[in-house]
Amino acid sequence: MTTPPVDDPDVLVDVRGVKVHFPIKAGVIFDRVIGHVYAVDGVDLQIRRGETYGLVGESGCGKSTLGRAILNLEPPTEGHVVFDGTDIASLKGEELRRKRQDIQMVFQDPLSSLDPRQSVESLLVEGMKAHGLAKDAKEARPRLRELLTAVGLPVQALSKYPHEFSGGQRQRIGIARALSVNPKLIVADEPVSALDVSVQAQVINLLEDLQEQYGLTYLVVAHDLAVVRHISDRIGVMYLGAIAEEAAAVDLYARPLHPYTRALLSAVPIPDPDVEDSREQILLTGDLPSPSNPPTGCRFHTRCPWRQDTRCDDERPQLRVVAIDGVPEGHRVACHWAEQIDSGELRPHEVTPVAVGSDELPPAAVEPELMGPASVTEAL
Amino acid sequence: MMSDAPLLSVEDLTVTFGRRGQEPFRAVDGVSFQVRPGQTVGLVGESGCGKSVTSLAIMGLLPQRGNTVSGRVDFEGTNLLELSTDDMRDRRGRDIAMVFQDPLSSLNPVVPVGVQVTEVLERHRGMTRKAAMPVAADLLRRVGIPDPDRRIKDYPHQMSGGMRQRALIAIALACAPRLLIADEPTTALDVTIQAQILALLKELVEDTGTALIMITHDLGVVAGLCDEVNVLYGGRIVERGARHPLFRDPRHPYTNGLLGSIPRLDAVGERLTPIPGSVADNLPWDHACAFAPRCSQPIERCTQVTPVLEESFGRALRCHNPVEVPR
Repeated sequence: MTTPPVDDPDVLVDVRGVKVHFPIKAGVIFDRVIGHVYAVDGVDLQIRRGETYGLVGESGCGKSTLGRAILNLEPPTEGHVVFDGTDIASLKGEELRRKRQDIQMVFQDPLSSLDPRQSVESLLVEGMKAHGLAKDAKEARPRLRELLTAVGLPVQALSKYPHEFSGGQRQRIGIARALSVNPKLIVADEPVSALDVSVQAQVINLLEDLQEQYGLTYLVVAHDLAVVRHISDRIGVMYLGAIAEEAAAVDLYARPLHPYTRALLSAVPIPDPDVEDSREQILLTGDLPSPSNPPTGCRFHTRCPWRQDTRCDDERPQLRVVAIDGVPEGHRVACHWAEQIDSGELRPHEVTPVAVGSDELPPAAVEPELMGPASVTEAL
Repeated sequence: MMSDAPLLSVEDLTVTFGRRGQEPFRAVDGVSFQVRPGQTVGLVGESGCGKSVTSLAIMGLLPQRGNTVSGRVDFEGTNLLELSTDDMRDRRGRDIAMVFQDPLSSLNPVVPVGVQVTEVLERHRGMTRKAAMPVAADLLRRVGIPDPDRRIKDYPHQMSGGMRQRALIAIALACAPRLLIADEPTTALDVTIQAQILALLKELVEDTGTALIMITHDLGVVAGLCDEVNVLYGGRIVERGARHPLFRDPRHPYTNGLLGSIPRLDAVGERLTPIPGSVADNLPWDHACAFAPRCSQPIERCTQVTPVLEESFGRALRCHNPVEVPR
């Protein structure tokens, strides 16, 4: 299932067959592993130099775990992450630490990711010192000025502490910290979702400007499809630990091929009453199944309005290029019936929701129970 | 369904929080708006604009100590602010109900969901728990919880976020209130679940004729749901209008700026125009427009004279120099 290694020098990050499984343990004295949370379960993706790759999906789909696996913050259970020609998983200790200079992260909550007792100067110098870019704060001064100007903060900010800033400014500090060690890749996990709407746009624009200025490559992980689509060149839509569809941002919106992508796109509210009044919504029934007990076959079949009696339940679809006119090769989808759905040969039908139950254990013992009918696909 | 006599009329509502050793803070500052029966009204704004405090003041849920609430909240002719605690308790949940943002923290974690639904019926309808149980199951069914007879015994932690929000809506609707206040009811939910809950609210409002006050920061949610939209900034309403004209032709620079700063799913790669600065830059309303430091087109008057909310042709606007050509 893994794609062959890519030797394209244009590819900065090559993720091959990555799985991250977290063990679920029970027992008082002896830990017994009674199951796994299949957070990321077989993902292939390539990120090219200078592009922005957006990973989008709902909570629990594994997008953040995948982002962390790329930094080796969560060592993959299986598979490889090749960064700039080196397999990250094979690195250890000092080598790995040095490699981290090239991959930096921007976190969701700027307040909890900045040490409240460190001044901005000390926050920014710390990484530079660790990677031998500066001996002390004095030597780093010119670089610090440049960084603050780049992220749009006054130089006086250096002697202040995180609590003295607003949310948007704190996120700017987080971005400056990531930039301080001249990374090649920045993984941004929900970079704007903790910010107010009017401030979100400032940070989005800043990220775009910095990319142009420093030739950065971004992996943006977010749940907000509108934000991801705005900022990304290519988008991967994740559902329960796997990529359901991958395409250029423009193509994904223009012609979503996977039923989940269709539902997701139709669920995002658009701030325009005329659009809202006229568009068709695909309402999914039920909730996301537990990643500790994912459905067999296609992960989405329990909620899919286009589910067929064959293949969907027992054969796991792989990400593939489809043979549809006008769909470029870079547009890949993990659906057995993408062609038939796109041509309109298959029509959506009612879905009987399957009980997802709680987030409780044990996963394997619970039989999926059938529940009462509910209306599914309705044009609103 | 809509008639002209207002169901709820909020007049000059002002909420001031006392702060030890500091000047008191006016969170809501002379807010007036009306809700007609069956109407859906939106209160939109960013964090700190006073939208949630407005709703808590209407429900009489603000802590008594340290706060001053003034103005009028007329609900069917009674000023809710003058009611005694007991009288307010009688109305809350029966005439006016509320759905909160975080369904996990607004449900009691150690009481089964079904019992929490029946509590309302026992309190306001004088039903016994035994008699109320089938009604509760029916309510859960109506909000789209599958297999309600079994689910009624579940505890909140056994339900998913979307289910919990449905359960909260069921509790709110138990006594068929004439006004439902929803405070960011979908903010904690995933987008596909949000779509389910919004569709449910829309359907219930149409079926029952309940008026709805929708409090949200998401202009997209408002665009699909509300008949009338109030935009709040710094504790005051800065613009009000019916949803179509308001979105098509925003007159206040703040409304216009908000619309320009949201990435739209259906727009291709155009650069966003953010509103500069943050809420921390606000001027006090006393002698100026609070939004002036962040405004795209301030004039001298903006920092000298407080703008008033002026109504004309169904649009209310608080601005000295309104936007002529939107974005």
